[in-house]
Amino acid sequence: MKIFLVGAGQVGFTIVQALHDLHDLTVLDLDESRLAALSQRYDVSTVTGNGASRRVLAAAGIARADLLIACTSRDEANIVSAMISKAVSPRTTTIVRTTNPEYLEVWREGQLDVDFIVSSEVETASAIVRTIAVPAARQTDLFAEGQVQLVEFDVDERSDSTMIGVPLRDAPIPADSRLAAIIRGRETTFPGGNDVIRSGDRIVVIGSPQAAQLWGEVIAPGSGKVQDVVIWGAGQAGTAVARALLEQDVRVRLIEASLERARLVADELSGARVYHATGLDPDFLERERIADAQVAIFAMRDDMKNHFAATLAKVHGARFTVAIVHDAPSAEVFERAGIDVSINPRQVTAEEIVRFAHDPRTQQVSMLDDDRYEVLDITTRPGSEYVGLSFKEMPIRGALIGALIREGRAVFPHGDDVLRPGDRAIIFTESSRVPEVERAL
Amino acid sequence: MSELARGRLIGRPPFLAVDVQGVLNVVGLLIAYLSAATFVPAGVAIGYGESPWPFLASGAIAAATGAALAFSTRGEHRLGIREAFLVVSLTWLAAAVLGALPYLLSGDPQVDRPIDAYFEGMSGFTTTGGSILTDVEALPRGLLLWRQLTQWLGGIGIIVLALAILPRLRVGGRQLLEHEMPGPEIETLNTRIRDTARRVWTLYIGLTAALFAILLGFGLTGVDDEMTPFHAIAHALTTIPTAGFSTKARSLEDFTAATQWVIVLFMVLGGINFALTYRAIVRREPRAAARDQELRLYLGLLAVGSIVLVTELWTEDVLSGWQAFRAGVFTAVSTMTTTGFSVADYNTWPALALMTIVGLMFVGGSAGSTTGSVKVVRHLLVGKILRREIDQTLHPEIVLPVRLNNRVVEERTLRAVSSFILLYIGIFVIGAALLAIDAARTGLPLTTFDAISVSASMLANVGPAFGVGGPVGSFEPFSDLSTVVMVVLMWLGRLEVVPIVVLLTRHYWRS
Repeated sequence: MKIFLVGAGQVGFTIVQALHDLHDLTVLDLDESRLAALSQRYDVSTVTGNGASRRVLAAAGIARADLLIACTSRDEANIVSAMISKAVSPRTTTIVRTTNPEYLEVWREGQLDVDFIVSSEVETASAIVRTIAVPAARQTDLFAEGQVQLVEFDVDERSDSTMIGVPLRDAPIPADSRLAAIIRGRETTFPGGNDVIRSGDRIVVIGSPQAAQLWGEVIAPGSGKVQDVVIWGAGQAGTAVARALLEQDVRVRLIEASLERARLVADELSGARVYHATGLDPDFLERERIADAQVAIFAMRDDMKNHFAATLAKVHGARFTVAIVHDAPSAEVFERAGIDVSINPRQVTAEEIVRFAHDPRTQQVSMLDDDRYEVLDITTRPGSEYVGLSFKEMPIRGALIGALIREGRAVFPHGDDVLRPGDRAIIFTESSRVPEVERAL
Repeated sequence: MSELARGRLIGRPPFLAVDVQGVLNVVGLLIAYLSAATFVPAGVAIGYGESPWPFLASGAIAAATGAALAFSTRGEHRLGIREAFLVVSLTWLAAAVLGALPYLLSGDPQVDRPIDAYFEGMSGFTTTGGSILTDVEALPRGLLLWRQLTQWLGGIGIIVLALAILPRLRVGGRQLLEHEMPGPEIETLNTRIRDTARRVWTLYIGLTAALFAILLGFGLTGVDDEMTPFHAIAHALTTIPTAGFSTKARSLEDFTAATQWVIVLFMVLGGINFALTYRAIVRREPRAAARDQELRLYLGLLAVGSIVLVTELWTEDVLSGWQAFRAGVFTAVSTMTTTGFSVADYNTWPALALMTIVGLMFVGGSAGSTTGSVKVVRHLLVGKILRREIDQTLHPEIVLPVRLNNRVVEERTLRAVSSFILLYIGIFVIGAALLAIDAARTGLPLTTFDAISVSASMLANVGPAFGVGGPVGSFEPFSDLSTVVMVVLMWLGRLEVVPIVVLLTRHYWRS
């Protein structure tokens, strides 16, 4: 596929990283140095110029592109870029990144001439909500309209001993779930009945959301359903998270330093309790029993403030902390500071955009461990070599089918189940094997 | 430039910051138009073989005075927020004069003193319903109908009427309407004030006509033999405005149960926000209207008041069975909607019943209705403000918007509601004190509780109170000074205090 990418910022970089070896990429940006940095690492063609300019797009050959991804940090520039692309080359599919959920709304109502819109705030919010659903998870993602969940856990000595150190055929694996991989250092095992989970392993589980929660209970005993959340920062990201949590009847408290913003958000979200405070004042944290909340989310604009607030909250006894990272390097600092999960909106956005760029049969993908693994959602062709085989007969070649979507319903296959043409398979694989897997099915 | 020329250029600031001439111009115009209403009782008087001259003369005097005032102050005027306060306040004072003129000119011995006639005129236009008459039925038919008509005109508002028909007032119309329409905020049915005023008046006329038709039907079909066509139109004119003047000496006591229940229903309707009724009936969105928080509380309070009174009557054996039920419900509805009709002389009722009645005087109906008093929405908002204050003592940093019908209420409005209630209570207390002191001075048999009830009743535009001013009594025994106090209370109550109190501040008159 020929893909045009407008914007070589963090989101652009992540997308290039995921797509460069499979597709023909052209990256447009105003900043020449960014393009230079990009072309040094990846084999992509670059154009210095305004991606929202018809002349620039036309000269770069937009008419031959299959897909245009507009992912600069400026919403309006992205939309204009996509609209011009539509005007010049109607066959080019357009994907626009936006930070303003209102554009998403307008697009859903069919008022924006753009094929897909990805909102960083909404994607980040749903990523956080998914994480909270299984607090023990290192990373988690939903597929097939939320019927299938993928979870990555770090196993340690606290984990339930009935599962650890026992051959998998004897372990009490929750129904409707499959252990997709055991990652031990640099070695990845697609496990069979004889394999054993050990403390220190990283494991990947594919299953129903209920089974994923059961796994969470096994890996980190005592982590129940989240009912009480505190969010630092009521900006667009914090508000989007609050809204998503309120929809699930979670009690939400928001802390916002700007009075004007606090008032606005309090007006907008009738279910949340909004405090006008910095959230950095120990008296306040103590008085409001902030640390009693099950989850503390740090969604302020400034990574350093998030870092400080999260550490302070930890000092006060906060149990589970989730922070939004704006600059990629902060993630490591956060991890060192003991923040349990950090979520990078740009990373999340890039992933969501990459989902659209894959094989048309591939509906969704997800990246794990910095693009080392991918999860594919592929519809099986009638001519596939795997059709008609039962799962126990299938040769394992660096990939594992975790779930099937058959007639719209999720099925978690056992050894005797047979793959049929038209089944949608949720597959966990190493990134380098994606084309191979796509061919095989 | 010489110093003299410079001095002349700078000049003096204008003495007043209010365009008084412009105000008088509008007031004159309004009164001139309003004087046309005197043709109605004049016609009735002719029909009954009485003299139409008191009405025609009053109309002529008012029209001439109003026109002269308007003519002498003609020209370019600034009608802004400032002027609106004075226009509304003066218009209602002047309207009461128009109301009083026919009584004076009729020469009837019950209303031949100017202060008494003015009380009756103010009680009419403000839809209070308290009367200085000692024998209502002795009055000529024309004069009786004029009493009823003043209440009907005052019910939804003189200025609302003017906005609906006169093209002249469109400037500053919103401010005028805000001061006259009861409640903390006006709900406009349409972006244009004029359309809102028209719709409200159409609905008002429609409801009045419906009640008239029902009452007339009761009279003609023998459901209620007392209900003559005259009584039917007279009571139709004073029920929807929740006003309370009756053409019968014992108010509604002589009418049958069916009539009384119909009146209860229409009093309840008169106490509902007209914008809401309009939405429910004309736009056919009854479900949306029924979700209104104020409406729900209004109906809930009516039910609670009724239950308390009925229980009290039953347990104290004052009345029994259905009679107690009807009297209890009727009195609760009539008092809370600030109508002031009665079906029983509650002066003899036990203390708890009387306390309940005084309590109901402070409730009132909905904003945007024809009722007086505090209004249910203000009680609702004050309740929410208090709940927020208590929450904030525990959580000083919390930001809690107050919501009404899922919409956030502006802080300005909340402050206005709190200060309204404080002002209202302050004025009620001063009024009660003045009445009690004056009664002691003149030897009027008025207990402190009676004085409290009179002040509350006048300020809430209910009408009857306890003691001498009870449901079958009269305000005639009160001294002239007390009568003035009551007139002022009615005036303050009808305009919801603030527009008049503003006039008492220095910063209103001077820039």
